[in-house]
Amino acid sequence: MRDTQHEKTERAPTDEAFINKTHSHTSAIEPIPHQSTLLERLASLTTGYTPDSISELKEKTYFDYPAVKAPLWSWEIIWYFFMGGLAAGSYVLASIATLFGKKEDRIVARVGYYASLLALLPCPPLLIKDLGRPEKFLNMLRVFKFKSPMSMGVWGLLTFSGFSGITAMVQASHDGLLGRWWGTRLLSRIPLKLLAIPGSIFGVFLGGYTGVLLTVTSIPVWSRSKMLGALFVSSAFSTSTALISVILRIIGAPAKTLYKLEKIEWANMLIEITCLLTYLRTAGRTAKALVGSEPKEQGPTFWTMMFGGGLILPWLLQTLMLIAGSKQPRQHTSQGQPTKRGGMGLLVSLLVLMGGYFLRRTVVNAGHASSADARTTLWNARR
Amino acid sequence: MSDHNGQVSATPITERVQQLTQLLAPFKKEKPLPEQPKMGFFTDTSLCIGCKACEIACKQWNQLPATTPEWTGTSYDNTQSLGATTWRHVQFIEQIERRIPHVNASDEKVLKLPLFEMDTPVPQMGMDLSALPELAGTPTGTALPFFSTDRWLMRSDVCKHCANAPCQEACPTGAIIHTEFDTVYVQQDICNGCGYCVVACPFDVIARDSEGDGQAHKCTLCYDRLKDGMKPACAKACPTDSIQFGEVEQLKRDAQERLGFLQERGLTDARLYGADDKILEGGLNSFFLLLDEPETYNLPSNPARPSNHVLPTSLGVIVTAAVMGLIGTFFFKQE
Repeated sequence: MRDTQHEKTERAPTDEAFINKTHSHTSAIEPIPHQSTLLERLASLTTGYTPDSISELKEKTYFDYPAVKAPLWSWEIIWYFFMGGLAAGSYVLASIATLFGKKEDRIVARVGYYASLLALLPCPPLLIKDLGRPEKFLNMLRVFKFKSPMSMGVWGLLTFSGFSGITAMVQASHDGLLGRWWGTRLLSRIPLKLLAIPGSIFGVFLGGYTGVLLTVTSIPVWSRSKMLGALFVSSAFSTSTALISVILRIIGAPAKTLYKLEKIEWANMLIEITCLLTYLRTAGRTAKALVGSEPKEQGPTFWTMMFGGGLILPWLLQTLMLIAGSKQPRQHTSQGQPTKRGGMGLLVSLLVLMGGYFLRRTVVNAGHASSADARTTLWNARR
Repeated sequence: MSDHNGQVSATPITERVQQLTQLLAPFKKEKPLPEQPKMGFFTDTSLCIGCKACEIACKQWNQLPATTPEWTGTSYDNTQSLGATTWRHVQFIEQIERRIPHVNASDEKVLKLPLFEMDTPVPQMGMDLSALPELAGTPTGTALPFFSTDRWLMRSDVCKHCANAPCQEACPTGAIIHTEFDTVYVQQDICNGCGYCVVACPFDVIARDSEGDGQAHKCTLCYDRLKDGMKPACAKACPTDSIQFGEVEQLKRDAQERLGFLQERGLTDARLYGADDKILEGGLNSFFLLLDEPETYNLPSNPARPSNHVLPTSLGVIVTAAVMGLIGTFFFKQE
């Protein structure tokens, strides 16, 4: 009895403070650090939903116990989404360079095809490790289900692995990395352009299906908006462009090619920003788990490492670089391509790669926070 | 190796063939069993007394291990949710000061308990009961004047055995199937514990047994008992017939009748959940009679069917990829 009275006297002022705070746009019961006000404003602005604790408290639930089960996926799946995106995007970019690039752009194709295979290699082990019964992974090949993105994903990954592997082998035999014997002569006779088109289709599939996979669930933050697939595929493109330009800036590449990659990177980031903002707006209240600053919610990481540091900042830097670059007179020295290393572009690309990783990480972890939020889950199902 | 007839070469070959067929067994498509009438549960929460006999009977029959007890401090429900080793779960919902009499809603005095202090005359022996004023907002004929309107709702939760089950649609191995009784069943020899069904289920039902065999588990509607023409263990153990088992069509008719009866008696908030075809576009083979809004029981009122998201999301992928591909092509073609 004494305890309850004690609790009551303690709670009364907090309640008042809580109501006052909600009126002054800071809606959390505990005192919150100063910078989260900005994050909360950003969250309301992008999602179009301002958390209203008082009306949310009136919604009915069963002791706030989760209304859906928490996802079982963690770091393996985060890394798979990131690496799979890189593998897919690198392949597609390399194919575009093969099909439409100039002579000096061949280095993009070469680096792209190798990067694709290397990024793809850790994917199957990560996926198998994530299973509850890894030794039974072959059972995935029992069925072919259009309605199940995971089933389609298995077949898509398998097919894409085939294309990525063969293309890298063909590229390697062109480059003489496999030695010179009848096998490599046979391989180098396969035209890369023939592989590029079907391989790219499966590449797009691999880059985008992971977003579809998350959308085809009952987790509110993943399933409310139908933009997660578009967001993931756009991130796959921008991160892989960044990866290839990082590699090219380390090993050295024609300045013209790097300039093309810069422009592609800039455009890809712009599309990713558009996809991300559309996703947040269409997810509305359910995006709270991704952009909110309450415990378990991903807001602080999302805004700093992904949206701010991994997308907006590199995009602004890239814009400045392109403006500065276009003012300089372009020297056309046809004999002996001038190669370039390092530069600001390296920083931009590394930031984009960081953003791509944190996009996967915050979205997957937001699923955990979202599944624990019974009120939003039930609100989402009211339709 | 040689058998009794001394035929040396035949045995290893037949053995190998046997091994191969065993290895390929999960890939073999069996002929479906002959269709049986649809079977399901009708859980009538108005009859539930919260005895948890269903939880225990289920654990016993299915040989499920007990979960580590954890005091929730919220109610008598220390199970909290369904899980890999809990296939029936009884909820306890305490609704205190739920329905404040409408007439005196503004009067502060009415809110205070006990109600004996109110001006309402307390019924006594030999009094004319019909002269007593009835508390507004209380179901006619059910409330005695000295009863408060507080109530205690109980519900035995279970897998809904959806006609269009999201877990079954999500399953990438084909481990989750609809049986010949149209119940949803996880074939344990096939499930590899990918965990996709866990996030697909909109009802917080199916779970992976991470401490056990690492596979997905949920209510089987006692498939083994069904095969032998027996009632599922929970329905058999239920002492109040709150859990009824039978053919879905018949159960749905019974449920309508029961709902009419309750509404006639003044329980206007009573409703059926999953008995029509609205939820997940096909209804639930294991449905409920609720006394309040579904959200009170943590049930989603109209959950989306996850597989409907495949097409719109894929379209988004294709459009975005096409735009980005064109931009890449344009910049690469530039001098």
